[in-house]
Amino acid sequence: MLTFKIAFRNIFRQKRRTFLTILTMFGGFTLAAISIGWADGTYNNIINIFTRNQLGHIQIHHKGYLDRPTLYKTITDYEALGATIENIKNVEAWTPRIFSAGLVSVGDKTAGVRIIGIDPVRENNTTLFNPKIIDGKPFSDTAAFEAILGKGLAKILKAKVGDKAVIVSQGADGSIANDRYTIVGLIDCGDEISNQTSFYLHIDDASELLVLSGRIHEMVIVVDHLDHVAEATEEIQKSIDNPELDVAPWQVVAKSFYRAMQADKKGSWISLFVIILIVAVGVLNTVLMTVLERTREYGVLRAIGTGPGQIFRLVIYEVAIMAVISVIVGTALSLLSLHLLSIYGIPFPDNGFEYGGVVFTHGYAEINLISILAPTIAVVLSAMLVSIFPAVRAARIAPARAMRMH
Amino acid sequence: MNDEVNQEVIVARGVKRTYSDNGVPVEAVRGIDLIITRGEFTAIVGPSGSGKTTFLNLISGLDPVSEGEVRLNGKKLSAMSGRELSDFRRDNIGFIFQAYNLIPVLTVEENIEYIMLLQGLSRQERHQRVEKILAEVKLEGYADRLPNKLSGGQRQRVAVARAMVSHPSIILADEPTANLDSKTGAELLDMMRNLNQTTGMTFVFSTHDEMIMERAERLIVLKDGLISSDETRQ
Repeated sequence: MLTFKIAFRNIFRQKRRTFLTILTMFGGFTLAAISIGWADGTYNNIINIFTRNQLGHIQIHHKGYLDRPTLYKTITDYEALGATIENIKNVEAWTPRIFSAGLVSVGDKTAGVRIIGIDPVRENNTTLFNPKIIDGKPFSDTAAFEAILGKGLAKILKAKVGDKAVIVSQGADGSIANDRYTIVGLIDCGDEISNQTSFYLHIDDASELLVLSGRIHEMVIVVDHLDHVAEATEEIQKSIDNPELDVAPWQVVAKSFYRAMQADKKGSWISLFVIILIVAVGVLNTVLMTVLERTREYGVLRAIGTGPGQIFRLVIYEVAIMAVISVIVGTALSLLSLHLLSIYGIPFPDNGFEYGGVVFTHGYAEINLISILAPTIAVVLSAMLVSIFPAVRAARIAPARAMRMH
Repeated sequence: MNDEVNQEVIVARGVKRTYSDNGVPVEAVRGIDLIITRGEFTAIVGPSGSGKTTFLNLISGLDPVSEGEVRLNGKKLSAMSGRELSDFRRDNIGFIFQAYNLIPVLTVEENIEYIMLLQGLSRQERHQRVEKILAEVKLEGYADRLPNKLSGGQRQRVAVARAMVSHPSIILADEPTANLDSKTGAELLDMMRNLNQTTGMTFVFSTHDEMIMERAERLIVLKDGLISSDETRQ
C-alpha cells in the first residue's frame, strides 16, 4: 500500500512527462482499438452484404455437388428439411434453388444461360431478391411461366420486359426440356458474369421444365449474426443427420472470398503490432529517464531499509497506474468513436468499390470485446514488459553509490 | 567481559575500502580499527577526502568493505545478503543525511512513519510514536506538510525524527548541519544531544562542523583513510 501510494504520487511529480507518457499509451490504445473495431466492422459488413446478397451463411447440397455440380445430385423433400432447419436456434430464413444450363432465345437472338429456379417469397426473405429488380416486377407468388433476366443477358438478347423467351435444356429424365416464358423483370445481380448468364424462373416452373419432381440442388440458409454461423452449421448437421447431404458454412462455399478477408484481417494485426511497438519504445524511454533521475532517491530508500522488491514494485506500479489511466480514457474515447463510426460510417473514395459482385460505398466500425480487450492487453503488457529492465536496475542500485549521484 | 562486549555497538577491524577510479585503484579507507560503545556521541572529523563518509557507509553496510570486518550489534555485515542488510539497517540504524533526503511525495507524518510501516507496526503504534517524536523535534502542526513546504532546519528535524522514531540502536549522521545556518544547526545538535542522553542511542557523526566537535564526547580524526587521533572527552 505504501509503495503504491508513493508510486501514485510520483506520477504527479513530472506532470508534463507523465502527460506525454499517458498520451503515448492512450494514443496507441485508441488507435489500436479503433483500427480493430474499424477492420472488424468493415470486414463483417462486407461479409454480411456478400452473404446476404446471394451466397447465404450456410448452404446444403447433395454430397459432392459443390465439387462437381450436375442436374442429378439433388435434395429430396426439401420442405421437410426446411421445417427442421427453421426450428434451429439463430436460423432466420432459408430458400431452395434449382440450377441448370440452357439456351434461351428472344426473337432471333440466342444465348447460353444459367437457369436458376427460386421460390420468390423465400428468396426475397433470405437474400433480398426483389430490391435487385431494376425493371419490371417480381415473380408472382405461384408459378405463372414468368422469367427474370440478368440485365446483361437482356442486353445480349435485346430483350425487354413483356417479351417472350423460349428456353431449351435437358430434363432430369433425359428428355429435351423446352418452354416459353414471359419476361417480367430485369435484375442487377451485382457482377457482370451473373448479369450476362442469369435466367431466373419460379421454382415450380423450373422443376417442371427440368422434370425434377420437387427436388432441388441447393438450400440457402441465413442466420441472425455472422458469429452464429459455425454453431448453426453444427446444429443443422446434427439435426438433419443425413450422410448424403453436405452442410457447409459460407467460408467453405466461398473459399477464395474467405481467404481474401482473412489476409486483410492479418494485415490489421500487423498495424496493431507496429502501434504497440511505438508505445513500448515511448514508455521505455520515459521509465529509463525516471529511474536515472531518481537514482539518488532509490539509494536513500534502500539505505533506510526499503527492500529491492519494493523498489522494483515502485517502478512497476508507477507505469501500471499510467497504463490503467490510459486504458480507461482510451476505452471511453474508443467506444465513443466506434459507436459513431458504426452509425455513420465513412464513405469509401471514388463512390466505393465492388467486391464479389457487391458494391460497397461506406465502411462501418463495430464495437466488440476484442477491439477493447486486445489493445488493453497489448498496452498494459508491453508497458509492464519494458518497465522490467529499468525496475530491476532500480532495485539493484548500490545505496552508497546511488546517493553520491546528483 | 560479556557486558563490555554487549556494549560494543560498532566494531571495525582492519577495514579497508579501495575504489577504482577509471581503472586506477584509490584507497579511500586504508585500515581502520575502531570500537564504538552504546550511547556514545562520537564525531568523525577530518579534511575532505579523508574517508569520513566512506567509513560511515562501510559501518552501515551501505558500501561493502574491500578488506577487514564490520560488526554492528554483534552481527557481521559482510555475511548478510542484500535483503538481510536492508532489514538490518531498517531495524538497527537511523540515517541523517546532509541533504535531508526526505521522500518528496510523502508528508512529514508519512516520512516519519515510513520505516515503521516497513517494520509492520500497527497504525495506532505508528501514530503514537509520530505524535511523540514531532513534539520532541518541535514540529507539532507540521504533520501534513510536504518537505518542499519546510525550511532547511525543519526538514533536518524531520530527518532526525525519521531516523529515531523506529528506536534504532545507532544513529549515523553525515554532515547533518552542513546545509543549516549556525543557529539552526546549534538547536538541532542540542536536540540530538538531548535525545542521546534520554534514549541512550549511539550517535556517530561525520563532520567538519566545529559545533559538533565541541559537543562530541569522542572525537576521531581521520587523515588519508586512517585514524590519526582518537580522543574521548568528558
